[in-house]
Amino acid sequence: MSYTRRNFLKAALGASTMLSLASPGPNLLVRAATAGTARRDDRDTVLVVVQLSGGNDGLNTVVPYDDDEYARNRPTLRLQPKDVHKIDSYLGFHPRMEGFLRLYKEGHLSIVQGVGYPNSDRSHDVAMRHWHTAKPEDPNCQTGWLGRAADSVWHTKQKDTPAVFVGPIVQPFGLRAEHVIIPSIQSSDDLTIDPAPGESQPKQAVELSRADKDNPLLNHLRDCTANARANSRRIEAVARASANKAEYPAFRLAETLHTVARLIRADIGIRIFFTELGGGGIGGFDNHANQLGNHCSLLHHLSESLAAFVDDLKKDKLLDRVLLMTISEFGRTVKENGRRGTGHGAAAPVFLAGGKLKSGLIGSHPSLTDLDNDAMKFHTDFRRIYATVLDRWLGFNSRTVLDRQFELLDILNV
Amino acid sequence: MAEQTEKLTDPRWAWAAYEPDADRPWNLARAGHLYRRAAFGASWDQLQQALADGPQRTIDMLLQPQGDIAGFNRTYDEYEVATGSVDQLRAWWLRRMIQTPHPLQEKMTLFWHGYFATNAEKVKNTQLMQQHVRLLRSQALGSFRILLEGISQDPAVLIWLDAEANRKAQPSEYLARVLMKTFTLGPNHCTEDDIRDASRAFTGWFVLRSKLRYIPREHDDGEKQILGQQGNFARDDVTRIILEQPATSRRLVHKLYRWLISETEQPDEALISPLAESFAKDYDVQKLVETMLRSNLFFSAAAYRRRIKSPAEFAIGIVKALEETVSTTQLANDLADLGQNLYNPPTVKGWAGGQHWINSTAIVARQNLASALLQGSGPYDNKLNPWAVAQKHGCATGESARGFLLDLFLQGDLNSDVYITLPNTPREQDNDLGGRIRSLAYAIVTLPEFHLA
Repeated sequence: MSYTRRNFLKAALGASTMLSLASPGPNLLVRAATAGTARRDDRDTVLVVVQLSGGNDGLNTVVPYDDDEYARNRPTLRLQPKDVHKIDSYLGFHPRMEGFLRLYKEGHLSIVQGVGYPNSDRSHDVAMRHWHTAKPEDPNCQTGWLGRAADSVWHTKQKDTPAVFVGPIVQPFGLRAEHVIIPSIQSSDDLTIDPAPGESQPKQAVELSRADKDNPLLNHLRDCTANARANSRRIEAVARASANKAEYPAFRLAETLHTVARLIRADIGIRIFFTELGGGGIGGFDNHANQLGNHCSLLHHLSESLAAFVDDLKKDKLLDRVLLMTISEFGRTVKENGRRGTGHGAAAPVFLAGGKLKSGLIGSHPSLTDLDNDAMKFHTDFRRIYATVLDRWLGFNSRTVLDRQFELLDILNV
Repeated sequence: MAEQTEKLTDPRWAWAAYEPDADRPWNLARAGHLYRRAAFGASWDQLQQALADGPQRTIDMLLQPQGDIAGFNRTYDEYEVATGSVDQLRAWWLRRMIQTPHPLQEKMTLFWHGYFATNAEKVKNTQLMQQHVRLLRSQALGSFRILLEGISQDPAVLIWLDAEANRKAQPSEYLARVLMKTFTLGPNHCTEDDIRDASRAFTGWFVLRSKLRYIPREHDDGEKQILGQQGNFARDDVTRIILEQPATSRRLVHKLYRWLISETEQPDEALISPLAESFAKDYDVQKLVETMLRSNLFFSAAAYRRRIKSPAEFAIGIVKALEETVSTTQLANDLADLGQNLYNPPTVKGWAGGQHWINSTAIVARQNLASALLQGSGPYDNKLNPWAVAQKHGCATGESARGFLLDLFLQGDLNSDVYITLPNTPREQDNDLGGRIRSLAYAIVTLPEFHLA
């Protein structure tokens, strides 16, 4: 079969079977809002976002190894068919992504192909801003989509923090909220109460005053203080119990995800975790020259860190409550640039990991010949993934967060 | 706090000056309340002086303190001009809040920083941000009219609102939108047409090389219709027309009510109206602040502990009570972690404040900040020493220090069941009395009551 024909078939099938409109999920939002002071529902779902800063080269991540156009456009960066981890007769994972292949085979990894948005921008700042605001058409947008998501479910009796950023860089704009304070942490220690001055161990805490029916602010403070103490103890207990058990490679992302796993296990009500790979500023995925080695090591970190995270969560049957999603501001040019690197592109794959995924490969691989300014064209707007995650996974209202209803993707087993 | 609920809704009684009587005596709790709202907390001497002076004289001093305020501010302005980064600006401002002889001015500067919220991350210009906050300070207790005119031509604000180039062919609607919907009238008091014509009035103004410039040929001098008025309006007409709208004054009074009186419920329009009408006549901020601070309502149960301290108020309250200055570079970072990153309010709407400041992780972070401040070592060094302060004010025993600290931080106003569970009275023979008292001070400032302003 010629490449073009296969591509056409994939596109046709993809559109009808995989991208059909999904039914709305269970209304977790209502449950959360009415739960009030009651014990949190153990089935509350968690979203983990991993930002790949700099613009990931999707083409060398999920590789169309058997495509002549790929070989022709990538004379030095080309990954050989014998080296890639084959997904099917057309696509394979980068050679250093053993972990991704295993997760894929176990049904714990999905690839949404050809993700982007109309009139996409190719400058890092603007493009990343678009992925963060989810409102590329509104240059004045001052909040991030996850910040708005956190704001959208806030209620006056809320004690838990709905979202955190875990990492050493400045908090990404995606978490910018109008109302809710979203903390940045580097380890789970940042969420536990230090001993009082002059004490080496936490002491028996002071009794809190009784509820004051006249002062809602005092009651809120009282409830949050009690809850803070309880959460702190839970995190410490989890840290002690799992001190040497979990096996994570010695990468920063792995360490970050280890922290996330601890906090999920401690069950302290955080629904959204934001993490990052590639570093602040422009980011390590931006490889205009000598891309091969650097990209290889980043993908290896990504793949093995995620695999360790999934394995860790599986142990306590927590994986079914967790959905992980990668984002990156753009893909890269199909053609390499003469300096063994690539330029800023457009469409790229988004990876999903978790215990409730429907299928491995979602949508068709974008064409390598029908290009827009040297870059592959998108067919799935990233906001359809956001909307699906908000509505069907978190049980929030995507319309409130994204200002319009995007067509949902049928990618989750919920 | 004795209740007078039936009187609270009567504006004449509510805004009349408070005069202590048997039911509503002038006491430590009311003095502490005043210093939390009109300043960033009080030292022991300030509380005692307030008790001796009475409420109205104490408010006189807070409004018009003695000392060389202009000189103090000039010195700090020079420090700020010499800095190269917004991080340093944050540190200088916190230091100013701690050391100023005019704390109400800084408190109101912070109010305006949230009101005309402008974000340094976007402006990317230290000097312009310094000038911006300087403008806020210059009119913190001055004229809202002058302040609004200043804001409408402040380069930092124009950059922040994507209005560096107000071209005739492409007016920047966002500036006009925020100016009318967020900074003045409120969301439901203008139409899209008003916004469009107001943005046309702003054409011709540019920020070029960090300076405001007017390019006449880029100004659209055609006829405009703004909020029912017609004319060939320019920028200053827009602020004039906005200030003629009753909604502008009402909105400001509402915001200030939340800042100075209570966050718990929306006040009756009957309470707001007389203040808004009077404010609209001269836009004199000090007069409005003064009316609120002196009032029966301010000293009533409806206002007492009916605000949640912002992170800055929480931390500086500890520092002021313990009569020292700590590293404000470190403090600026810690406050940012608590959600109050000075010079970087999250959106044009400023910090939401109130209950939004507090959730379980914010409590953990506030407790850990209190622990670090009182540790006697580490990033905040050995600056704050509660035992030394207690001794300075005549405490010779652990028992007396315990009572002193409760009065200092909470004016002794604490339920007795909480009181008895506080760490035991430190004994003199304890070889680490200072350490015990640190631990006790920490226990007090991490109580829910201490987070209330």
